[in-house]
Amino acid sequence: MTTNVSTMNVFAKNDKISNIWLILTLLISLLGVYGLFNVLINGHDVYGVTRTVPWGILISTYVFFVVSSTGLCLVSSMGHVFGIENFEVIGKRSIILAIFTLLCGFGVIALELGHPFRMMIYNVISPNFKSAIWWMGTLYGIYLVFIIVEFYFLMKHNHKGAFYAGLGGFLAGISAHSNLGAVFGLLEARPFWHGPYLPIYFILSALISGSALIIIIFFVAYRSPSNMPEKVVKVLKSITKIFGFLIGVLIFFDIWKVITSIYGAPPEKFEAVQTLLSGQLGVNFWLFEVALGMLIPFFIIIFTKGRNIKASLVAAISAVIGIFYMRYDLVIAGQLVPMREPAPGAHVQGALPNGLVSYTPSFTEVSIVIGAIAFCAFLYLMAEKYLNLNEE
Amino acid sequence: MSLLKTKLNRRKFLAYSGGTLAAGAMASKFSTIKAVASEHGKQSKESGSKTVPSACAICVNKCSLFADVKDGVIHKLNPNHNFFKSRSMLCARGNVGAKVPYSPDRLKKPLIRTGKRGEGKWKEVSWDEAYDYIIENVIKLINKYDNRSSIAFASTEGLQEEFFRHLTSVVGSTNSVRHPTLCLASNIQGYSSVYGTLPDADIANAKFVVMAGSNRAEAFITPDTIDLAKKHKEQTFVYLDPRATKSAALADKWFPIKPGTDMAVVLAMINVIISEELYDKEFVNKYTHGFDQLKEHVKENTPEWAEKESEIPADEIRWMARKFAENAPASVWYPGRRSSFTANDVYYRRACAILNAIVGAWDRKGGLIPKSGISLKSHEFIFPLYDRVKNRIDGGKVNFAADILPEYIKSNKGMPKDEVAYLSEADGSWVLFRDAILKQKPYPVKGMFVYKQNPVESVPNRSKTLEMLKSMEFICTIDIQMSDTAWYSDVVLPESTYLERWDPAHSLGGVAPVVIFRKPVIDPLFDTKSMKDITVDLTERFLKKEEFWVDAWEEDKAYMRDYVKTFKGVPMSHIIEHQLSDYPGAYKMLMEKGCFYKTDKIPYGKTLKEGARLKTKTGKIELASVRYPEAGLHALPVYQKPSEAPQGKYRFVVGRHAQFTQANTQNVPYLLEAYGHYTNMLWIHPKSALKQGLNDGDYAIVKSSVGEQKVKVHVTEYTRPDTVFYLHGFGRLSKWLTNVYKVGASDAEILEDYAETISGNALLHETFVEIKKA
Amino acid sequence: MSENSRALKLAEANQKLAHKRRNAKEKWGIVLDTSKCIDCKACTVACKMENYVPVGFYNYRIWVAEDTHYANYPTISRSFQPSQCQQCENPPCVHVCPTHASYKTADGVVMVDADKCILCKYCMTACPYDARYESHTTEAIDKCTFCYQRREEGRDPACVETCPPKVRVFGDLNDPNSEVYKLLAENEYTVLKPGKGTKPKLKYIK
Ligand SMILES: Nc1nc2c(c(=O)[nH]1)N[C@H]1C(S)=C(S)[C@@H](COP(=O)(O)OP(=O)(O)OC[C@H]3O[C@@H](n4cnc5c(=O)[nH]c(N)nc54)[C@H](O)[C@@H]3O)O[C@H]1N2
Ligand SMILES: Nc1nc2c(c(=O)[nH]1)N[C@H]1C(S)=C(S)[C@@H](COP(=O)(O)OP(=O)(O)OC[C@H]3O[C@@H](n4cnc5c(=O)[nH]c(N)nc54)[C@H](O)[C@@H]3O)O[C@H]1N2
Ligand code: SF4
Ligand code: SF4
Ligand code: SF4
Ligand code: SF4
Ligand code: SF4
Ligand SMILES: [Mo]
Repeated sequence: MTTNVSTMNVFAKNDKISNIWLILTLLISLLGVYGLFNVLINGHDVYGVTRTVPWGILISTYVFFVVSSTGLCLVSSMGHVFGIENFEVIGKRSIILAIFTLLCGFGVIALELGHPFRMMIYNVISPNFKSAIWWMGTLYGIYLVFIIVEFYFLMKHNHKGAFYAGLGGFLAGISAHSNLGAVFGLLEARPFWHGPYLPIYFILSALISGSALIIIIFFVAYRSPSNMPEKVVKVLKSITKIFGFLIGVLIFFDIWKVITSIYGAPPEKFEAVQTLLSGQLGVNFWLFEVALGMLIPFFIIIFTKGRNIKASLVAAISAVIGIFYMRYDLVIAGQLVPMREPAPGAHVQGALPNGLVSYTPSFTEVSIVIGAIAFCAFLYLMAEKYLNLNEE
Repeated sequence: MSLLKTKLNRRKFLAYSGGTLAAGAMASKFSTIKAVASEHGKQSKESGSKTVPSACAICVNKCSLFADVKDGVIHKLNPNHNFFKSRSMLCARGNVGAKVPYSPDRLKKPLIRTGKRGEGKWKEVSWDEAYDYIIENVIKLINKYDNRSSIAFASTEGLQEEFFRHLTSVVGSTNSVRHPTLCLASNIQGYSSVYGTLPDADIANAKFVVMAGSNRAEAFITPDTIDLAKKHKEQTFVYLDPRATKSAALADKWFPIKPGTDMAVVLAMINVIISEELYDKEFVNKYTHGFDQLKEHVKENTPEWAEKESEIPADEIRWMARKFAENAPASVWYPGRRSSFTANDVYYRRACAILNAIVGAWDRKGGLIPKSGISLKSHEFIFPLYDRVKNRIDGGKVNFAADILPEYIKSNKGMPKDEVAYLSEADGSWVLFRDAILKQKPYPVKGMFVYKQNPVESVPNRSKTLEMLKSMEFICTIDIQMSDTAWYSDVVLPESTYLERWDPAHSLGGVAPVVIFRKPVIDPLFDTKSMKDITVDLTERFLKKEEFWVDAWEEDKAYMRDYVKTFKGVPMSHIIEHQLSDYPGAYKMLMEKGCFYKTDKIPYGKTLKEGARLKTKTGKIELASVRYPEAGLHALPVYQKPSEAPQGKYRFVVGRHAQFTQANTQNVPYLLEAYGHYTNMLWIHPKSALKQGLNDGDYAIVKSSVGEQKVKVHVTEYTRPDTVFYLHGFGRLSKWLTNVYKVGASDAEILEDYAETISGNALLHETFVEIKKA
Repeated sequence: MSENSRALKLAEANQKLAHKRRNAKEKWGIVLDTSKCIDCKACTVACKMENYVPVGFYNYRIWVAEDTHYANYPTISRSFQPSQCQQCENPPCVHVCPTHASYKTADGVVMVDADKCILCKYCMTACPYDARYESHTTEAIDKCTFCYQRREEGRDPACVETCPPKVRVFGDLNDPNSEVYKLLAENEYTVLKPGKGTKPKLKYIK
């Protein structure tokens, strides 16, 4: 009980957030409500997932959300956990968005799980410590608690509390997140995912998402760099550089991932990568993942030397869209090589003539995804509009 | 020849039961089966589990089973391990029987048509109303045409069929038409002309098996299918079929033979075996008749000649011949089942029988074995002595008999042109029968009862069958589902399904005979009856109508009263007990073990014993027939070259699938799903598809001289370039067959309606079709 | 009682039976000779009947795939490969399951406790054989149970019992007197995807 924060300190009206945006995001969220009702009424049949591709766009969107959340938390922890100067200014905004993205992620996965409530019970009374998904779920639960507490302390300007909660959030986030990588990486059945690569890759991409989102939310908060305090501009410039550097690393990772998946045509891995390079996910991969997700932001940052934060915004938006597709491609490509040959009679669901299977998200799934993203934006805009998220 | 020529003699009209059977049933929507039993059906009050012995009725094999019943609901049908004939199996269809009574598409109440024929408007009526309607119409027709034979009776085998045959006798019609002339009549005729019987093959012990025109892996015949699939190590299996069926998967060699030329191969094998002196001389001398004539007859039939006909390499034919002789007596040229193939069929089957005989592979281990049965006491039904009865409409001289022959065989000397030479009195000849009805020659037939048969789909040329139905003034169909024939009927009577009724004991003939029976596994769910009850009820009602008996003797009426009394009061279990009364302990064994048999060992050599006689004229194996020349037929099998496909046309053949019984189980969701598609598809070779500009998945119009159908194309190397095929039983007309109504294509619609005139068998492989992209 | 409640009742009864047999010493397995298979689907239909697996193209515990080799027409060789859950000794589906809904019985049968299944479908992505599916009757993941309900009576699984040529032989792989044991001793055999380390208990005679 150090400082007694007055309500004036917690709430502050930000006039830069127009009601139009609030209404718009809320309206788009209604699409998600439609999806929600459709599932509640008709069950999971309304999803496009199949026996052979049991994890669809809801899982990849969940991953997208939690990657974003973790990224936001990790980047913001540079400030109040690792004490990097100036980074404190991003704290409240990133953490509140980390909370919202995580909650939306949980919401999306709850709709994907057949029995979300059952999960809460049996995760506790019948835990399987060998299961990566158990660890992932549990750690994200803990992580959520930490970041909520962290946000509370930040709002209360309790730096010590924020430090401990931030450290906890950082540790829980990083373990949860590498466990999310492990959820995929531990699957021997799926060579495309299998191996230690994914946990590391997940942390890397989290940092990228986090950086990009921070750039974006500061534009949301201030509309343009001219309104931004000097401190903020400085931080955004640093983040832009980190962001650019990490994308470089990501490109490097991806090149090797592709090379190792093609060289010597390792069975199943090769076919999965082919779906990205020249198959059903080709457009996703080249246009969204490679162009929007990596090359465009990378070159924007290189050419502007990270000094033009307006350009950084473009890079960030491009990257976030790209990253959304990266998650999708990662989750789907890993399942497109069926576990059984789709020989006649085998009833391999979704089998294509080329021996792979296919997945197309259903309208319901897409509406839930759009709804969730819009709702997340709505929540953030509300927070931005009515909470005092500035550090001064 | 006629049954009734000597009107002064009472004739016992014995139900024909030559082991020629086919059957079974059922339907259910994809969605769910829950609704049925609860909504309309009687809820069972039973609780707990029980196991009930019975027998499958979904096809001719009648595999014995034990039903697992839980709380009055059938949970599972399991194979009966005592029933060696099926080698302890139930096939996919047999398994799905558990759902048959609960099918939403089954018949639940008697129905009387209210709209136009085929319009599908029905009213549910009580049994009394249905009976009154039937009695009134039957009497009306008999009076109108002054002829009891103006009412036809069509049926397919089954354990209740004998009661339908009783009904035929009560009404007094000579016009019964049964399934054999759509199925195996020419086979029975061909083999019987040589051996006096249609034998079975001892597949379990045969070392060299040639199967031509029988797809045993998909068309189940127990125990042959199973023994063949077990592939014991010393067996060589050669398979001849224009299609690479699932039997081809079991085969050591598969030859895509040119359709209709099998006989050339058989004759060439006989030629090789005789010319290389590989035949069993001792056997031939002792047991056969006419070897010298045969030797002379096959002189020209060299493998090289046969190669030109059949497209099977001469060397391979020679190899087959030598192997056949080498492995004798454990060699079989497999006697098929369905032989409604091409016009030369009877002679072809004769040739097959002869091939087995000359190597002595008869009634010995691994060869052909004459069927035996377990004779049961039966209730003999006396055919009453009515005045108003005429001879069969397709019997005796029929001056338009030649019309049913395909063009190319019309000049063949060994083909009767003015009658069916060996017409069965009980079975008739379906194709000729229908023509005679349509021509009203020599008299009108205007009423019809149909039992457990669906001629709309099973007789070639569907439009013609519909025309025949249209010409009827009264049609009553007894079925368990709304068959296409039922759809065009006036009264539809729902029989209880095989799992809801008692059926009399029945001896399954075969190399080792065994008796089965049926008892209700559950109580009838709906307002249905067995054929036995229907016949008894109708007879009882006829007895109340004086006008029905004006041409009968008082004695006959008394007999009928007695019949009603006997069958009405007595439970079927007593009848079964009576049937088995010659065998102490048999009834108990049947009830406990689900089947009764004396031995499961094959009694080889009964016909080879000193003094034994075959049922041929000479008592011997007739390589050259003695009776045939008397009837103006060839004594020896003369090869007739089949007609070539006209330019741009393809030969259409039919065949079985393991998920479907004839045109019967296609509506069952579980089976459609196991089959893997929801429709049938045209098999066409890639070369031919290219020629017709068709790709896999396209739709094509398949057109013959009698009809056309639209069907999905399946391009496959599993068929010859000159031969096309699609599955039977799709493209249905009855709307109540919800899953196959107008789904896919009907083969009956495009098959031209030929038959041969020795046995009267229909010919289902004599149709050439044009194929165009739809 | 509806088909659904029957399915649930069966699933429950199997959990109880597994508990009752917690000291069982057998190691159940199936030896298959696929060269006998005629693709008749008796096994697939029998399984549906025995285990209340509802109609639906992709609701199945057991399947028969075709393996055809084309040389020059008419040199075509067809053969069939029936299969089902491999009842892995080292089952990834069990390892990944967060709630222990997927578990292995004492006698080595991998089953799903429908009550605990949260339908995360992790096991589906983990199974290298596509042996699992989402059941609408139990509202849980479903898969082959080796017809566990039949263990008490000592009856063969439905697919084994009904198969016409007896492609499958079921028995205790630990028991030197069992038919499966003898078959494995007398024949060369293989398992599916040996490289995945799952140690399948379905053995295919070569
Ligand atoms: N195009 C073509 N035609 C063919 C054939 C072919 O392959 N293609 N095959 C031929 C052969 S070999 C044969 S054997 C015949 C068979 O031809 P059918 O004897 O007509 O046999 P199914 O088509 O099985 O029809 C049998 C009918 O009996 C009904 N049924 C089943 N069980 C019961 C029961 O317990 N009681 C009653 N009352 N009815 C029941 C069914 O619902 C069905 O309507 O078809 C022949 N015709
Ligand atoms: N699953 C199942 N089993 C059944 C039945 C069923 O409907 N379903 N029905 C039962 C009945 S009633 C019968 S009659 C039997 C029928 O059983 P089968 O007698 O085996 O008859 P089909 O299946 O009609 O097989 C005929 C085969 O001959 C081929 N064929 C066509 N033309 C020629 C030719 O000229 N030469 C040669 N060598 N082959 C040719 C066809 O491609 C087809 O594969 O099956 C019985 N068992
Ligand atoms: S072969 Fe199949 S359908 Fe025919 S009687 Fe046996 S189990 Fe029934
Ligand atoms: S029941 Fe036996 S023969 Fe039939 S498909 Fe199954 S494994 Fe093959
Ligand atoms: S879907 Fe059910 S059985 Fe499978 S891993 Fe998840 S909780 Fe376990
Ligand atoms: S086959 Fe699949 S479902 Fe079966 S035990 Fe192995 S991993 Fe589990
Ligand atoms: S063992 Fe039982 S549950 Fe498993 S596939 Fe066979 S029938 Fe189905
Ligand atoms: Mo038949």
